[in-house]
Amino acid sequence: MPQLSAKVKYTNSNIIKRRPGEHIFDILNVIIMLFVCIASIYPIWYVLVNSLNDATDAMTGGIYLWPRVFSLANYQKVLETSGIGQSFKISVLRTLIGTVFSVFFTAMVAYGLSKEYLVGRKLYMAMGTITLFFSGGLIPGFLLLKNLNLLDSFWVFIFPSMFSFYNLLIFNSFFREIPKALEESARIDGAQDMTVFFKIVLPLSKPVLATIALFNGVYHWNDYFAGVMYINDTSLEPIQTYMYRIIAESTSNMLSNNISSAITQTTTSTSIKLATMVITTVPIICVYPFLQKYFVKGMMIGAVKE
Amino acid sequence: MAVDNTEKRLKALGIRETLALLWKQRYLQLMVLPGIIWMIIFNYIPMGGIVIAFKNFKITKTISEAPWVGFEHFIEFFSDSAFSNILTNTLGISLLKLCIGFPLPIIFALLLNEIRSVKFKKAVQTISYLPHFISWVVLGGILITWLEKSGMVNDLLIGLGIIKERISFLGEARFFWVLALISDSWKELGWSAIIYLAAISGVDQQMYEAATVDGANKIHKIWYITLPSIAGTISILLVLAVSGMLNSNFDQIFILKNVLNVSRSEVIDTYVYQMGMSAGRFSYATAVGLFKSVIAMILLLIANKTTSKLQGRSLY
Amino acid sequence: MKGRMKKVLALLLCSAIGLSVSACGATSNDPANESVSDAGQSVDSGAESTAAAEVSGDVVPGWQKHADEKVTLSWYINYSWFPATWGGNLVSDTVTELTGVDIEFVVPAGNESEKLNSMIASDTLPDILTIGAGTSQIEDMIEAGMIYALNELADEYDAYFWTVVNEERAGWYTKEDGNFYGYPNISTSPSDIEANEGAFISTQTFLVRKDMYEAIGSPDMTTPEGFIKAIKDAAEMFPEVNGRPIIPFGTHEFTSTGNYAFESYLQNFLAIPYEQDGVAYDRLTDPEYVEWLKVFRSLGAEGYLSDDIFIDTRTQMDEKIAQGRYFCMLYQRSDITDPQKALYANDPDSIYLAIDGPKNSAGDDPTLSGPSITGWTLTMISKNCEHPDRAIELLSYLMSEEGQLMMYMGVEGVTYDMVDSEAVMKEEIIDLANNDNAAYTTEYGGMNTYWMMADTVMQIPWVPATVAPMDQVEDWTRPYVSSMAQYNYILPSDSDEANILLKVNNEWSSTLPKLLLASTEEEFDELFNKFLDKREAYGYDKVLEEYTRQLKENKRKLGIE
Repeated sequence: MPQLSAKVKYTNSNIIKRRPGEHIFDILNVIIMLFVCIASIYPIWYVLVNSLNDATDAMTGGIYLWPRVFSLANYQKVLETSGIGQSFKISVLRTLIGTVFSVFFTAMVAYGLSKEYLVGRKLYMAMGTITLFFSGGLIPGFLLLKNLNLLDSFWVFIFPSMFSFYNLLIFNSFFREIPKALEESARIDGAQDMTVFFKIVLPLSKPVLATIALFNGVYHWNDYFAGVMYINDTSLEPIQTYMYRIIAESTSNMLSNNISSAITQTTTSTSIKLATMVITTVPIICVYPFLQKYFVKGMMIGAVKE
Repeated sequence: MAVDNTEKRLKALGIRETLALLWKQRYLQLMVLPGIIWMIIFNYIPMGGIVIAFKNFKITKTISEAPWVGFEHFIEFFSDSAFSNILTNTLGISLLKLCIGFPLPIIFALLLNEIRSVKFKKAVQTISYLPHFISWVVLGGILITWLEKSGMVNDLLIGLGIIKERISFLGEARFFWVLALISDSWKELGWSAIIYLAAISGVDQQMYEAATVDGANKIHKIWYITLPSIAGTISILLVLAVSGMLNSNFDQIFILKNVLNVSRSEVIDTYVYQMGMSAGRFSYATAVGLFKSVIAMILLLIANKTTSKLQGRSLY
Repeated sequence: MKGRMKKVLALLLCSAIGLSVSACGATSNDPANESVSDAGQSVDSGAESTAAAEVSGDVVPGWQKHADEKVTLSWYINYSWFPATWGGNLVSDTVTELTGVDIEFVVPAGNESEKLNSMIASDTLPDILTIGAGTSQIEDMIEAGMIYALNELADEYDAYFWTVVNEERAGWYTKEDGNFYGYPNISTSPSDIEANEGAFISTQTFLVRKDMYEAIGSPDMTTPEGFIKAIKDAAEMFPEVNGRPIIPFGTHEFTSTGNYAFESYLQNFLAIPYEQDGVAYDRLTDPEYVEWLKVFRSLGAEGYLSDDIFIDTRTQMDEKIAQGRYFCMLYQRSDITDPQKALYANDPDSIYLAIDGPKNSAGDDPTLSGPSITGWTLTMISKNCEHPDRAIELLSYLMSEEGQLMMYMGVEGVTYDMVDSEAVMKEEIIDLANNDNAAYTTEYGGMNTYWMMADTVMQIPWVPATVAPMDQVEDWTRPYVSSMAQYNYILPSDSDEANILLKVNNEWSSTLPKLLLASTEEEFDELFNKFLDKREAYGYDKVLEEYTRQLKENKRKLGIE
């Protein structure tokens, strides 16, 4: 990396003239971004538009830009089901608790493992790497959870996913970029490892924390498998499992107690699938802007003086 | 360098000194210990189940009751006439995704970072990750309809004059790898870019200012400042991606695969699903899984050594 | 991974030939499981199942004895689409009141096979289990001693059971140790079929679009020449449907084990026998069948087999049926219910009709798969049940005529009346069920909402008639339903034969499309012979031998020959 003088003052970028080449670059860039936007949003739009269309009409296909026969029936059917409120609650709880636990737990362990002077580091890293690739499979995992009494318990969503070596490696790569000088100055002042971790390292790691929190949160929110396999009590079902169930039930001609209806046979399995997809994605899209600011700002301005 | 010295110093310590060091760093060790315990409980205890790869396991009996069969399942897998084909498909798709699909989010993140309007930047980023949330079941169904001979994509391509005759894209095996690449890259572009954006946002702004003063243009700044700053993140993800070469995006392949393109779309994961788990043959499925795991680990070690030599960066 | 059940009484397709991806785990070559047994209306009097005896005055039903002692039993249903809950509707509340048993359903939201396997491996099975007959895990569980023998429970706790059990059905499921561990629903023995001719329907139909078919002159499509000509005529007259290309011939999904419609389904239409000289017959090599495969090949060579049929999954097919894009289809009538309704609402002439399909050179009637003695699902009591006495009493109740009346008709005076000692459902109830099925189920929960122990033979007199547009396609099948109980073969998972069949089916799945799209007959012959060689190399003969062995055993159980 080029050696830059830290004595350079913070200059206002407006004063420096933009080169003509940069203009072209900027314009091209914007065009590319617009293209990405359209390509990304179109399939979502397609799903949205088809989900807002009457199901029987949608069966004949060909709805590309706008609903042909507008209908909220698909959403009504899903949102009026008796278990949706509960499953939503479970998912929110699970996502919040699971993410917080997981991010801090993994980050803490990662911090420890990022120090090369840690005794046993090599062993630990090897142990962790092995877990990335080798697994006993579904049945041994199930037996373990049964023996730990985690089956049919809310905590089956939290503990088995509390630690991720994959995420640890990512934390590691960020922690190692943090200048040692910052930590050392704190230690000189008498701070212990935990204090350094909480007071110095974490605040500086907001981008990676936000990223891992996002990954984790999305994982918890989207996971349906744990809800299918590890619990029988339907009041503990998170929303994706619940949606899975609704979709499965909609393939049978028997509409039942579970699916409340002023609406008869106006939905198909496909239309329900699309509606559930939109419903479960909306919360994430709403939450995301709050995390986004951590990616867009720069950090560590003027923090280090050589 | 620093790592080697520390290691050498650690190795040079005797038992007494090691214990003393342990005591000195006890708080640090305490921070790490819960993670190790967690791994033992949730990873290592069930890991014992891997032995069913060498047995004939039945769900109604315990693992220890199952009879040993040695390498029988492995031999069955390797001598399967389809083996070389599914291996080719798996590697082919993975390599394509690695060489083209891997850099794309990085490039996207770099370009996005250069957008000056913060509002536009945020909007693009939010929109770009949305496809990640469409499940492959839904997306696959959509693609099947769009890629038909009489479907939207053909309409578009004929209209633009790019092709003369309609093509059934999913009906011809030769298109499959590229289709898998394009659809996967497009779906994951925005999402994969998030981590690079996070890394980029950690770069000291002052360096850019200084570079501008020194006469650097955008390309210079990207090449000499941004990229090196996120090289650590890129390396890790690259090493992990390389190690995953025998894996496939099961959901994607499963839904896009059909009897017409199967010669290029059958990968290890789908084949084992059909011949293993679907048929209740746990041992066989576990054996193939074990084979993949071993290869993955070897690939990881190789990739890691390579980046470590080239870049001075290692996972460890 | 997607098996879809449409009608309440539909049988699983996936266990029909090899495996569909929805992981049934069983390799059962069971023609009977392909069918739907839906009781029709025309009936002989005295259509009671053979051994169901009247309640003798001496035996007090067990369920009456304990009506005051409340107990809750967990009941596992191995189908993620099962939507019903227990309690809150007339039928379930009344049953709980009468028997003192409350039920808690355990229904996986998906991944049924994995869930079941996990429960088996961890010994956490619920009290009562209802699983598809022929699912391999059943045998495994019985072998491992995880299931109670129903006869033993009956002997110990509830003699009433013996007055309601159908001996033929119990006999079919009796193991070598003389016990039977499960009881089927929707089970129809050969004598039931004989006694109620025309009452049973099949799912197997050959469909054509009504208006197109009539426009080309309603030709005879039972011969190769007629079939080919009809398709060509239709394609010429109707090259497009609403701006989209016509699909001359539609069929079921091509899966990793082949295509159901081109296998036993087509063979049934051609009345190809299942056995010859007491030995399981290799239907695949029957000359009549091969000739018809070649008919399709010639259509394929000339471009009449669209890519669509090879690529599409159920979702796309539903869409295309609703668009009416297929001229003719070898497709199950039970799978077109939704699109057919859409078509009917749009234009009653654009619906699909069932007509006579391909026939063999002698012009024999088709032998379609119908309901069988294996039934659709098997209900068992696991040894984890802490109240096996209450469980067996509950099952006895459900199996009795009283129970059947309750589960289908409901409560006398509320939902049905006894008219000249025949049970007749009230008009307003029938209307409600037809117009707002959901409301009916929520309020009453009858008509086999809880189908786990349904005795559809007993219910024959009670079922209201089917209405348009599904009536014609159902009725067409009635004369051709045949009993195929003895051809129901089950290969335990991971057995040698099952593994051989797995490989053979896998090979077939890639061979079949090539056969259909071969450009010349020589190419077809070459591919076909290559496949047969491979099949032999895998050891398919062993599979046939096993089939023969099971065939003999089945006949013995049924008392045939």
